[in-house]
Amino acid sequence: MSHPECEFEPDVLAAVLQSRWPERADSALRAHVADCGICSDVVAVAGAFESAREEVRVPDAGGIWWRSQLRARREAVTAAGRPITAAQVIAFGCAMGLFGACFGATSAWFQSALARIASRLSNFDTTALTEHSFIVVGSIAVVLLVPTAVYVVLARD
Amino acid sequence: MFHDATFTHLARGEALDDGAADFPMDEDAFRGLYDRTARGLWAYLARVTGDREQADDLLQETYYRFLRAAAAHENETHRRNSLYRIATNLARDARRRNLTRGPSYGEEIERVASDGHSAERTADLTRALSSLKPRERAMLWLAYAEGASHHEIADTLGVRPASLKPMLFRARQKMAALLGRK
Repeated sequence: MSHPECEFEPDVLAAVLQSRWPERADSALRAHVADCGICSDVVAVAGAFESAREEVRVPDAGGIWWRSQLRARREAVTAAGRPITAAQVIAFGCAMGLFGACFGATSAWFQSALARIASRLSNFDTTALTEHSFIVVGSIAVVLLVPTAVYVVLARD
Repeated sequence: MFHDATFTHLARGEALDDGAADFPMDEDAFRGLYDRTARGLWAYLARVTGDREQADDLLQETYYRFLRAAAAHENETHRRNSLYRIATNLARDARRRNLTRGPSYGEEIERVASDGHSAERTADLTRALSSLKPRERAMLWLAYAEGASHHEIADTLGVRPASLKPMLFRARQKMAALLGRK
């Protein structure tokens, strides 16, 4: 579908944007706008915007610059701290692992408890699990899928 | 120097306070750009969002993202288009966040304007704009307040240039009717 255009539209818009409309605009252009639906729409819309533009008060450039500088520096500090935080977490994990290994190797109580658990697991009857496999699979699916579904819904919101 | 693992957060903060952030222009160049673009950009944001306070926030955010992007621009028009594209995306995100809260379009603008001499004109414009879709408001402002070309508007709003002309025609017709020309 084609839409009608008027060759004088740019001239009319320029007159409004340069505050020449209507007093200082060419009389032939004024006569044209009186008869042209497209150009009178342009005058109505651009004129309404032009009157609204007078109310504009923007913050000072210095304030915008200063706040941008401050924020960029804060973000740089945060970014610089990120690898160190990760290294600290890994180091803490390694330390805890080492501590656990030493404890496991030296504690008689821990070793006996571990042996008890291992013997119970070896005697575990798996027939109940196979008989109720639907319930087991369903429960595992719910445990895995519900948090995923909640995350997807919240992320979309 | 900021990757040194022995550096404390405090020391890093102090070190960064000593220098300027890594922006693609200095303060004087920024002031020049701001003086040339801020009024138009703020008016665009205010008319698209219908909220002066949000326009202030988005204006700050637009210039911040522009500076952080550190993109190379061929000329002033390219820089200006880039600013409007950032502003358009921010306004779109803000609108999505505001769908379930905040005042409806233009309430706050009308309240502020009611103190001034242009209250009636502003109220007419605000009411007309509130009946338009956000994209229509944006394209009308860019075309008839900023005098942007069809190609620039299409680029800013992320629409095909061929689709823009009929969309702009319909939006202008609708807006003129709402303003009471017809």
